[in-house]
Amino acid sequence: MIKYSYIIAFLPLLSYVLIVFFFSKREKTASGIAITAVVSSFVLSLIALFETLADHGPHIFEYEWIVIPGLKLPLSIFFDPLTAVMLMVVTIVSSCVHIYSLGYMHGDPRFSRFYAYLSLFTFSMLGLVLSGSFFVTFIFWELVGLTSYLLIGFWFEKKVASDAGKKAFITTKIGDLGFLAGLLVLYWAAGTLNYSEVYHQIEENQIPAIILTAAGILIFCGAIGKSAQFPLHVWLPDAMEGPTPVSALIHAATMVAAGVYLTARIMSIIVVSHTAAMTIAYIGAITAFMAASIGLVQNDIKRVLAYSTVSQLGYMIMALGVSGYTAGTFHLMTHAFFKALLFLGAGSVIHAAHTNDIQQMGGLAKKMPITSKTFFIASLSIAGIFPLSGFWSKDEIFASIYHEGHYFLLALAVLVAGMTAFYMFRLCFLTFTGEARDYHVYEHAHESPKTMTYPLIFLAFLSIFAGWVGMPWLEHGYSSFVYFEHPHHAAANYVLMIVGTIAALSGIFLAYQMYYKRAIDPVKMGARFKPVYTFIYNKWYFDELYMGTVIKFAYWFMEVLYRFDQGVIDWFVNFVGRFGMFNSRVWQTFDVYVVDGAVNGAGFMTRWFAGGLRKIQTGAVQNYAFVIFLGVVLLMLFKMI
Amino acid sequence: MVTLEHYLILSALLFCVGIFGLLTRRNAVGVLMSIELMFNSANINFIAFSKFITPEALTGQIFAIFVITIAAAEATVGLAIVVLMYRNFNAVNVDKINFMKW
Amino acid sequence: MQIELSLLSPQLFLLLWAILVFVVDFFTAERNKASLAYLSIIGLVLTAIISISSKQGETFGGSFRADTFGLSFNIIFLGSAILTVASAVDYVKAHLKHQGEFYGLILLSTVGMMFLSASGDLLTLYVSLELATISLFVLAAYMKSDLKSTEAGLKYLILGAASSAILLYGISLLYGISGTLVLDAIALKLSQMPTVGPLFILSIVMIIAGLSFKLAAVPFHMWCPDVYEGAPTPVTAYLSVASKAAGLAALIRIFFKSLASTSMQWVPLLMAISAMAMILGNVVAVRQHNIKRLLAYSSIAQIGYILVGFIAVSELAVTSIILYVLAYMFANIGAFMVVIAFYNVSGSDDIMAYAGLSKRSPFLAISMVVFLLSLVGIPPMAGFIGKFYLFSAAIEKGYYWIVVLGVLTSVISLYYYMSIAYQMYFKTGDDDSPVRVSPTMAVALVVALAGTLLIGVYTQPVLSAISGASSAFF
Repeated sequence: MIKYSYIIAFLPLLSYVLIVFFFSKREKTASGIAITAVVSSFVLSLIALFETLADHGPHIFEYEWIVIPGLKLPLSIFFDPLTAVMLMVVTIVSSCVHIYSLGYMHGDPRFSRFYAYLSLFTFSMLGLVLSGSFFVTFIFWELVGLTSYLLIGFWFEKKVASDAGKKAFITTKIGDLGFLAGLLVLYWAAGTLNYSEVYHQIEENQIPAIILTAAGILIFCGAIGKSAQFPLHVWLPDAMEGPTPVSALIHAATMVAAGVYLTARIMSIIVVSHTAAMTIAYIGAITAFMAASIGLVQNDIKRVLAYSTVSQLGYMIMALGVSGYTAGTFHLMTHAFFKALLFLGAGSVIHAAHTNDIQQMGGLAKKMPITSKTFFIASLSIAGIFPLSGFWSKDEIFASIYHEGHYFLLALAVLVAGMTAFYMFRLCFLTFTGEARDYHVYEHAHESPKTMTYPLIFLAFLSIFAGWVGMPWLEHGYSSFVYFEHPHHAAANYVLMIVGTIAALSGIFLAYQMYYKRAIDPVKMGARFKPVYTFIYNKWYFDELYMGTVIKFAYWFMEVLYRFDQGVIDWFVNFVGRFGMFNSRVWQTFDVYVVDGAVNGAGFMTRWFAGGLRKIQTGAVQNYAFVIFLGVVLLMLFKMI
Repeated sequence: MVTLEHYLILSALLFCVGIFGLLTRRNAVGVLMSIELMFNSANINFIAFSKFITPEALTGQIFAIFVITIAAAEATVGLAIVVLMYRNFNAVNVDKINFMKW
Repeated sequence: MQIELSLLSPQLFLLLWAILVFVVDFFTAERNKASLAYLSIIGLVLTAIISISSKQGETFGGSFRADTFGLSFNIIFLGSAILTVASAVDYVKAHLKHQGEFYGLILLSTVGMMFLSASGDLLTLYVSLELATISLFVLAAYMKSDLKSTEAGLKYLILGAASSAILLYGISLLYGISGTLVLDAIALKLSQMPTVGPLFILSIVMIIAGLSFKLAAVPFHMWCPDVYEGAPTPVTAYLSVASKAAGLAALIRIFFKSLASTSMQWVPLLMAISAMAMILGNVVAVRQHNIKRLLAYSSIAQIGYILVGFIAVSELAVTSIILYVLAYMFANIGAFMVVIAFYNVSGSDDIMAYAGLSKRSPFLAISMVVFLLSLVGIPPMAGFIGKFYLFSAAIEKGYYWIVVLGVLTSVISLYYYMSIAYQMYFKTGDDDSPVRVSPTMAVALVVALAGTLLIGVYTQPVLSAISGASSAFF
């Protein structure tokens, strides 16, 4: 199967093509095709996984694509255990989301288009995972970004949704610029972008360390953008304007994890370059802490989950930064399952309550038994309670940080674990328990249809058990499957396990006291720590900071150009009047006068030129014959001179 | 003595007369005849070269026979189109026909 | 002299099949004439199979040579003929009389082209070129009561015959200089000559002029917009691809084989022609309102791109030209198929009339966009790979500025191609009745789409199939 693993990726592409060209009008058929394709991909991935278990590889296959003298761009597949695991994650979550969307998107006017986009996304994500060179990864990376943009802005009638789509696209592009630059550096130094060849050269010490550091950090910029790491994390919470299944698939489980995947793929650089490693580790740590703190006080159910995602991604990046290859990718896997579950659960809640605001919910457990139970399971898992999935992967991360001796990072990680437990259970208690705070919402709430609850149950099952493959006592568990260079099989560290559990339990306990028992009044707490509360409530003022610096600078720059364009006299005459309105008009005028002016100018020149040239075509056949002889004479003269 | 140069000059002149007719004749039949002149000037070349350059082979002369055939075919189709033109436009003047331009 | 007729079997088979079509036409009732189209397609497909399976070699003392180069072009001619005939069925039924002869003439023209691509001497080359062209004169004027069609036929005939005379004169001079008509022998003779005289220059200028007429390269392009607009649209589609490909085959046969040693003399000429074609074609296309005229100017520009690869005179040049013409065949005939399908329903070739086509027929609209993107050269369409190869061939030889010009003019082309897409997707027309596409046309469109996309994403099999083509020259 591994040899033909490209079929895994192409099935969803086929589904996309079929839906777009033939079944855009037939909703049932369209969704049926998409689901069949993704489930088949899942089955094939499972076969490939078993084959990889038998032989870890890496298996490398090359297919000639463009070969001309001096340039060779093969399409290659690089299949190692990490690929197998990622394929499982992507196809499982994608299958669940495909099925779940049957219920969630039911009745949407662009139902089949939604499935087409989902298929296209799945294709690009699988392509990204399978590709055997940085170059092809980059192509799929961009394709993934594009489909993510299409899906965030799926309900483009909502201005916030289309704005969020644009924000996501532009912010991640900044990171991608770094990625591209990193690739250029790497290509310049190594002369190839194939994973296997690059790894080989690094192993043989053929590339100077300083260049590796630069390439590593630049490529990591791509991961910063895609995985919403500090300081480019601002787009992910806004991306929650997309349909919830999309948030679950793309902005929780798979696409944002692509950054982590990429970071894992450059592990050989991280190992060599201490600077790159520490940059990565600390960016992860800062992100984990910052996002968790913001998550403590948000009231939009999806935004809490979004910040939780950012925070957990920071965790994984931090683990990879301290060379915890196994730990980071293991958490990536478990997180995908429970975070997808959380998002789909949240979608189920929103579907029932028609609001995102958790302050208006409450007591929904009675109305939505399945959703609430699975949501609690996922929360326990993400909090890291024994023996759920999250416990094992979090413990693995603690262990690898401890192993490398970064005690400050370890303390931070434990603190974030406590915070995670707190905000998750704040969310649970506010949503599902206590009195109904908004009677209207409560009254209309109902359990979601089976197409939505079955994926929840399935994912709940995975949230409990998927992590067991990584138990430290297992001889042939996860750590002897996905590893970097040598299997790293640490003995169980009971102290760390207990510390982690205590942190999680105290977080849950605090949330219980504040939001279930109401023994501590959250409002009073907020008032007591007002400066801190305001600071984190406003998301550390990141949006304002960017608005005040980067975007303001852009505005200012536009203004400068604008004045330059207008000329001195015009500027003097209009000075007073324009001064008052420039704030609102700058963007628009810049567009109209400078950008459009330049474009129209070139266009006008072309059209004018065309108008002159086409007059040669008089329509009289003898004139044409004359031009032919003139051509002969001119060519002759041209040659003789 | 008539040399190769004489033939070549004759053919060049004939070719130029053909061009002149092609560019100035109004009547479509006249235009077609001018084109025939151009073909025949090439034929003179072929035969002259055949006689002076490759006297042992007949390639040039055979080429000329082929050209005569082709020119006949071309003239046939050309005259058919002229008839068509007369039917549709009620004229055989090529300068009248310029509906399509620019 | 050993004569091996079996080498000619594809050409002879198609010739017989064309006669068969004429004969069957006598015995077919008027309402059943459409079946002749399918009969022609069967013949063309069989010919393609025969071409691929028949053996290679040369006969008639080197006048006729069956090699990979000729085979590649034969496949292109046959492919364009198949696509043209398939797209023409409804159009011919609705607008033309004498349906049987229409298909028969297309087959005859294809026969001429197939002889052309296999020719080993100038006589064969010239005669087969005329066979291909004279059939097309008739086809251009086929709508007998239509003024535009008659005008197209007349213009095509006069200018075509004049160009043919110029070509012939050039050939006669080359014959005089080298004393032979066989391409290999000319090459040998020329390589022994120390210098070239003005007569030689005149002869290559005239040969270039005569063949550039077939290519519709500037300044020998004047007939092209008028004839494309006036001729029945299927004929236009066929003209725009097969006829150009035939011109290219002849150009490559003569210049890469016989005149390769004198490439210093003619490369600047073709470079100038290429630059003019790219500029004029792309710029004037901007101001067109008739879609057939627009595509005519676009085809002039496309020839400019192809000549960019041509001037490299290398193995890569041959490969890239064949690849590009193949890509161009699918995209350009595809675009014309959309035009035909739309004309069958609306009776209009005006670009404005395409407003709202995305609502009236999403399939036609998206197909058109794919074809146009391929013509611009946007990945992953075939046109991108083709252009990439053409430009790499030129860069390999250090012709940077012409590649820059090619890229810049491609940007202009994006503007006018996308203005069609703009009409289809963002404008609403007065009429919003659905546009029906007949099954034959739909199949042909799907084939063209598949070709455009498959060559774009998986080029290697095509490349390895045509890689032997350059061995005839280098």
